[in-house]
Amino acid sequence: MAESTESPSSVMFLLTEQVHGAVSWMDTITKKVSQEIAAGDIGPNLSCRYHPSHFTGQDCTFCYCPFYPCRDQTFGYDVTRENGELVWDCQDCLFIHRHAVAQFVMHEIKDKGLAAGDSRPLQEVLSEAKRRYWHRGRALMVVGATSDAGKSVAVAAICRILHRAGYLVAPFKSQNMSLNSRVTVRGCEISMIQMLQAQAAGLTNADEHMNPILLKPKGDTVSQVMVEGKPFGDYTVEQYYKEFVPGPGREAVKRNLDFLLDRYDMVVMEGAGSPAEINIYDADIANMQAAALADADCLLIVNVEWGGSFAYAIGTIELLSPADRARIKGIILNNVRGDPQKLRGGADELAKRVGIPVVGIVPHLDIDLPNEDSEVFRGRNSRGTGSKRIAVIKLPRIANFTDLDPLSLEDTTVVYVTRPEELAGAGAVIIPGTKNTVGDMHWLEQTGLADAIRGLKEKVPIVGICGGYQMMGRVLHDPHGLEGEGPGDTPGLGLFDSESHWDSYDKRVIRDRGELIDGGGEVEGYEIHMGKTDSREQPLFRITSHGRRDETEGSVRSAQMLFGTYLHGVFDRPAFRTKLMNLINAGGAPAPAAPSKDYAAEVDRNLDRLADGFESALDLSFFRKLLRGEL
Amino acid sequence: MKAIIFLGTASGAGKTTLNAVYCRHLRQIGARPAPFKASNLSLNSYVTADGREIGMGQAFQAWACGLEPTIEMNPVLLKPTGKGTMQLMLLGKPVADLSSTRPMDREKVLATVGAAFDRLQDSCGVVVCEGSGSPAELNLQKTDLANVGLMRLRQVPAVLVADIERGGVFAAIYGTWLLMPPDVRPLLKGFIINRFRGDAVILRYGIDRITELTGMPCLGVVPYRALRFPAEDSMSDTEGRLSGQDVHQAFLDNLDRLLADATDAGLDLATLDRIASLST
Repeated sequence: MAESTESPSSVMFLLTEQVHGAVSWMDTITKKVSQEIAAGDIGPNLSCRYHPSHFTGQDCTFCYCPFYPCRDQTFGYDVTRENGELVWDCQDCLFIHRHAVAQFVMHEIKDKGLAAGDSRPLQEVLSEAKRRYWHRGRALMVVGATSDAGKSVAVAAICRILHRAGYLVAPFKSQNMSLNSRVTVRGCEISMIQMLQAQAAGLTNADEHMNPILLKPKGDTVSQVMVEGKPFGDYTVEQYYKEFVPGPGREAVKRNLDFLLDRYDMVVMEGAGSPAEINIYDADIANMQAAALADADCLLIVNVEWGGSFAYAIGTIELLSPADRARIKGIILNNVRGDPQKLRGGADELAKRVGIPVVGIVPHLDIDLPNEDSEVFRGRNSRGTGSKRIAVIKLPRIANFTDLDPLSLEDTTVVYVTRPEELAGAGAVIIPGTKNTVGDMHWLEQTGLADAIRGLKEKVPIVGICGGYQMMGRVLHDPHGLEGEGPGDTPGLGLFDSESHWDSYDKRVIRDRGELIDGGGEVEGYEIHMGKTDSREQPLFRITSHGRRDETEGSVRSAQMLFGTYLHGVFDRPAFRTKLMNLINAGGAPAPAAPSKDYAAEVDRNLDRLADGFESALDLSFFRKLLRGEL
Repeated sequence: MKAIIFLGTASGAGKTTLNAVYCRHLRQIGARPAPFKASNLSLNSYVTADGREIGMGQAFQAWACGLEPTIEMNPVLLKPTGKGTMQLMLLGKPVADLSSTRPMDREKVLATVGAAFDRLQDSCGVVVCEGSGSPAELNLQKTDLANVGLMRLRQVPAVLVADIERGGVFAAIYGTWLLMPPDVRPLLKGFIINRFRGDAVILRYGIDRITELTGMPCLGVVPYRALRFPAEDSMSDTEGRLSGQDVHQAFLDNLDRLLADATDAGLDLATLDRIASLST
């Protein structure tokens, strides 16, 4: 069964899943719709605890859809239940939550005196609503001259700008190569960047359609390919381009673009790397082929920081095929330090040479947002200049390092540590997640970090997340060598009376909500892991997710300041972060402190600042024409 | 004239290092190389034996040539002094503070560059020059000294170094070629792809296409090495940590290793030598 969530659309989905005999879920829906008709136009129901269940600003008049099951393939699809019965699933449909649609439908129902369950006249209302208000969305794509050109943030900025202008907008990236995935409400893995862009778009629940292909490197040459958030197969680079891309890859891109274009006003697409890699041009489904499938207008973004930006821009454009070149409507020069106007003369000459305008010279924006390539991979060894030093063990195969980003909201300096002596002065130690727990445990022992961490027990708080939590136990059992280091047992740090084992090639991918068992508040995050942990310690969290109320998660020894959890994102909400900071501030003894900031709210404010920065640097009259498809 | 200039498609493309690697090769074959960079924009400078400042990159390249660094190797040094002003140093002596309202006397500076280049050439076998940033900055091309400026001044043949690490390498090469002024473009004699990881066979089609479009042959695909010093443009990484003979020796050892690796990977030294007019 799909993971339970608490949004009304999923309640409807759950109803379809939970039919048992006497009470018909259709009766339930009819009853709810009758109540909705009686209540009339309510607009966004800000007092609802589930608001906004789909997107910021949604109309909640019809939380339960009066047209269910409409059987209109634009809005939903049949799913097959275990008993073979087809059930109409429309959890991704946003149509009835558009304000104009909800108003029109309510007006028609009242005007014609219809009641819930009047299926034929209601279908006529839907047809008329669709004729008036439904149109296939338009696509806009940001391609970059290089990696790190600023595509991701530009897409996030454009999503937020369009969302603020009242568009229903979705981000999209065909294909991502990343070990930094997030879990959607339906238990699918997508890149954290599309999650962030969806937040910028005002969407509550990013879904697998926004990043249909995710590649997770397993070694130097093999990647696990995920399609629509689920494992699809392992491919070498060569197999990927020869077998996957022309067949299932291209199909997945097309299918998911169509899905989003049916549901949103605008789909803002992100390219991958450079679109002008002429050696793989025909096998590149992440750039101009995706643009063609969505008939997208494109913007080329160039990072000027390293120099050569005019050459990169003209070279990129001139190496595209004529049909693809015609899609490029504008050039953005990004990340300009100093006076942007100094580039204006060069920009004008570039525009003249390529016949495409430079529509924005964007200054370097110093805005803290979660980043795909974090400090860890940029060779930087610390972040922040606060008074409390938090040591993060920089495991060779570190994964989901964005877990640590919220720590910079506190008075901290986060240092990435690869040698025992670098632990000196640390107020806390965090062992993060890894793609290979067994291999990285060996590394911990070889570097002497393992003994150094054992020596800090009871002196400073030690937190293990996911793979780091597994390492905190007594032993790692991998009888089949699933972690890739050969079969056998590996001793852990021995901080917890727990053991982890890899019995089968199973992966747990699930979103969790929970609360600290000894009080302090809520946490929210997600688990992605192979291997299971049996712990004889006190659990750290009580799970509060719908339908899982008797579950617990993690391990804790409060007196020894040891914490272990599978929960990625454990520091996002203030509760656990505050608990850690209190321990650090008190040099070990818990003490009350001022409430911490909510990381998600902080990210949201920064998305607004990002959008402001782009908005003031972009040629808005060009942008308006682009949105209307007038270029 | 025996000279060659390494240009980059961007800052950090690897021209400083490849220049030094080529100097090692020339020293090994007894061709008596000397490094040259017309102008440097940097706060990271080295002091010559006679007490004058040059860019750190040329000091290292001089050592790679087995020479003591001299002021001719970097006659112009621009030191940012903040708030849009720069101190102009000619032959190691401060001569003016430049700003947007007080531009450089370009004729005078170019004359100094030309004279330094000529003196260096008289004292060595081959002048191995390095460009600055990208030669294709449309907003800077007219006032450029170290790239188009020097090439025009002494008709120095050039090799373009492009970094593949961030992607877009073919666009970078083709775009740079396109944006070179028509009178200078024929001096571009080839390109090198730097910092490549993997099997270079997959680049074949792209390389052939660039050669077809520009006439420039590919002179090598140089493998990635974690070797990024001396970091001329970075004012933090190496500052204060470059003194001492050990560092020099480590640097020279690294260069020799990279030269061997690059040669194994097919770096076309024979053609580079021909471009520098060492053979025909």
